Amino acid sequence: MTFEIDYLALAPELVVAGTIIAALLLDLFLTRSKKYWVAVLSVVGVAGGLVPIVYMLAEGGTRSMFDGSYVVDEFALILKIVFLVSGYLVLLMSVSYIEADRYYQGEYYFLLLSSILGSLVMSSSRDLIVLFIGLELTTGPLFLLAGWRKGDAKSNEASLKFFILGVLSTAILLYGMSLLFGLTGSVEFTAIAAAIPDLVSEPALALSVLFLIVGFAFKASAVPFHFWAPDTYEGAPTPVAAYLSVNSKAAGFVAMLIVMYTALPGISEVWAPALWVLAALSMTVGNLSALRQGNIVRLLAYSSIAQAGFMLVPFAAAAVAGSDLAQAFSATVVYLVIYALMNLGAFAVVIAGARRTGSGDIDDWAGLGQKDPVLGLLTALFFLSLAGIPPLAGWYAKFVMFASVIEAGGISTLVLAAIAAVNSVIAFYYYARVIKAVWLDTPSEELLARPGREYAGSIKLTLAISMGLTIAIGIYPTFATYFGEASRVIATGGG
Amino acid sequence: MAEVIIFGLMALPALAGGVTVVLARNPVYGAMGLLGSMLALGVLYVAQLAHFIAAIHVVVYAGAVMTLFLFVIMLIGVDRADDQNERLPRQRQLVILGVLGIVATAFAVAFSGRFSWVIAATGERIPQATNGTTVALARVLFSDWVLAFEATALLLTIGSAGAIALASRRGKPVDLPIDPEVTS
Amino acid sequence: MALVDYLPFVVMLVLAAGFVAVSLVASRFARPSNPTPEKLAPYECGITSEVEPTQRFPVKFYLVAMLFVIFDVEIVFLFAWASIFNELAWYGIAAAGIFTLFVLETLVYVWKRGALDWNVKTRSRYAREHFRIEEAA
Repeated sequence: MTFEIDYLALAPELVVAGTIIAALLLDLFLTRSKKYWVAVLSVVGVAGGLVPIVYMLAEGGTRSMFDGSYVVDEFALILKIVFLVSGYLVLLMSVSYIEADRYYQGEYYFLLLSSILGSLVMSSSRDLIVLFIGLELTTGPLFLLAGWRKGDAKSNEASLKFFILGVLSTAILLYGMSLLFGLTGSVEFTAIAAAIPDLVSEPALALSVLFLIVGFAFKASAVPFHFWAPDTYEGAPTPVAAYLSVNSKAAGFVAMLIVMYTALPGISEVWAPALWVLAALSMTVGNLSALRQGNIVRLLAYSSIAQAGFMLVPFAAAAVAGSDLAQAFSATVVYLVIYALMNLGAFAVVIAGARRTGSGDIDDWAGLGQKDPVLGLLTALFFLSLAGIPPLAGWYAKFVMFASVIEAGGISTLVLAAIAAVNSVIAFYYYARVIKAVWLDTPSEELLARPGREYAGSIKLTLAISMGLTIAIGIYPTFATYFGEASRVIATGGG
Repeated sequence: MAEVIIFGLMALPALAGGVTVVLARNPVYGAMGLLGSMLALGVLYVAQLAHFIAAIHVVVYAGAVMTLFLFVIMLIGVDRADDQNERLPRQRQLVILGVLGIVATAFAVAFSGRFSWVIAATGERIPQATNGTTVALARVLFSDWVLAFEATALLLTIGSAGAIALASRRGKPVDLPIDPEVTS
Repeated sequence: MALVDYLPFVVMLVLAAGFVAVSLVASRFARPSNPTPEKLAPYECGITSEVEPTQRFPVKFYLVAMLFVIFDVEIVFLFAWASIFNELAWYGIAAAGIFTLFVLETLVYVWKRGALDWNVKTRSRYAREHFRIEEAA
């Protein structure tokens, strides 16, 4: 038994866990008008979690704990930064939204923080049990948060659909994990990887790998396991939808990559084609469905499904071609970082725009640019970035993706690259449709007559941070490249 | 030999409980049948030296989950539960098809000469349980997975916060101007 | 642990069943038997209820059941701790202490939110103070 615990390596988790305990207790003893202190505490706690991460990144090196089942390497640190920063932005955009609703604020922040903690744990996990607990901690609170607007039937529907499909996917995931454990006799990724070569001909092994992929793909809402996503995003409170589209999607995604890369590299002939199909289907179905959406949140939901497809492309391509997976890791992480920033910005725009226009219908947003030029500009900025137009961050994400595919080589990867290219063009059409509505269409009299209220400071801050980073990465992509390069250092754990 | 006798003694009540769940008209009897089945399975776990699983099985499943079942049955109302005339379209044909499918699968498995499709991990990879697995399980739980252990406590806290958030009444929204929701 | 070691359990089981059986049989013969329709009625006291209770049940049943399950699951983990309590010593106390801290926080939270109050008036006090509900049911 090893009892040494590296408290510095655990510091981000400990800070967030402490914040969680304090937030729930603080909420109990605050009167109604002072509830915003819970939000302040949560935001400070999440920012505080970043401090030890930056310190460890500067120090370098890999810290391994608990017999190699919990590893803090640069890959994990980079992902923790992504989860914490996006969690921070979601907390900021929640403040005014939840306060206006005056509904269970304390529990809201408690659940959101728990979910962030789950994704922190998940990104360091190097065995099936810790990975599973981390993933459940990430998605569990979201079942509740999706239904937070209890009086609204759509919110109930969102929560119920998410819950039933989420539990189903968890069951499938667990089934896959238990098969894998039964075959290899271990839950640790290095031990599983070591046992795989003797078992390649086992049909049950292929079955367990496919079950794992299905389970993770549900969480990442990749096609054909995406059916819950649009309804859930639409019914959930908008900040929760933003969180679902960034953090929880990234969590499922990262969990899949970690397992495939560290535990199952020996059997990539099973999962590589599966990922290839997932990527191609997600891009195509997501984009084609997005074309027909009238509601802006549904549009973003389908767009995020398509973006998940783009994110899978480098990894799937490298695995199919049998080239270096580390290169694909860095491309995927760069894409993930940039996607998180611009998608959160887009959701913040949706919250602000819905307040301005009183509607989530794209048609009702007509002429928003005349009514509120700053918001109109921000809409254009984030949606152009999502479409991948230089000099905004989105172009670099697409560039890295295509570069890594070309590097992988081979016919099947080129086919995948062609599918991605066609989809980028389709995506541009529906992103541009929103910008056209905002800038070129004539505003309705109703919109012009609406009183122009001041936005909450927290929403302004969210927009400022995501805008600043989106432009900065677009102009100085080396910043994002650093993230990608650092994330290549993924330690496999092991003792 | 003793193991075979225990298996026989316990598998029969387990099966009988299962049959009761399916056939009982009164749902409370069904729940009791399930309870009996679970208790019998608990003994089978003990016979396999899986003491911890047996304890969980009795404490959580036979204790807590059965309580939930009975709560639900009582909430819905015992007398209301028996007027279930809803049938799936072509239910009879589907059942026959399903049974045929199961029989065919059984034959296919039997003739393939391979009864166990999931081979167990080879011997040296599995730590041999010497004196009951509870101690062995507790050792790894408190060393390698102590973090997962603490996280589980948080998961349970989330569960109770969720139960309260679902069950409690929400207040009337205050007279502040409320954000229009982003639903059309 | 050989199966023979479970013999005390079997003896215990037989004794328990035997005690119940003997008590039932003994009381069967010892008590006077004089049934009347009133004695056989489910509720011996009070007036016969005129209407069946409505099918809408208070949600507090659900709350209590859920909380019971949650705290029940927490016990399972302490069972594992108890099996190697001496071996773990202070480390185990620290680990289980953190675990118990979460459990205690859950208890404080549940208590303060009024989920344990069966009485509606006290149960909704928190809601009145925090969410401006005038009348809670």
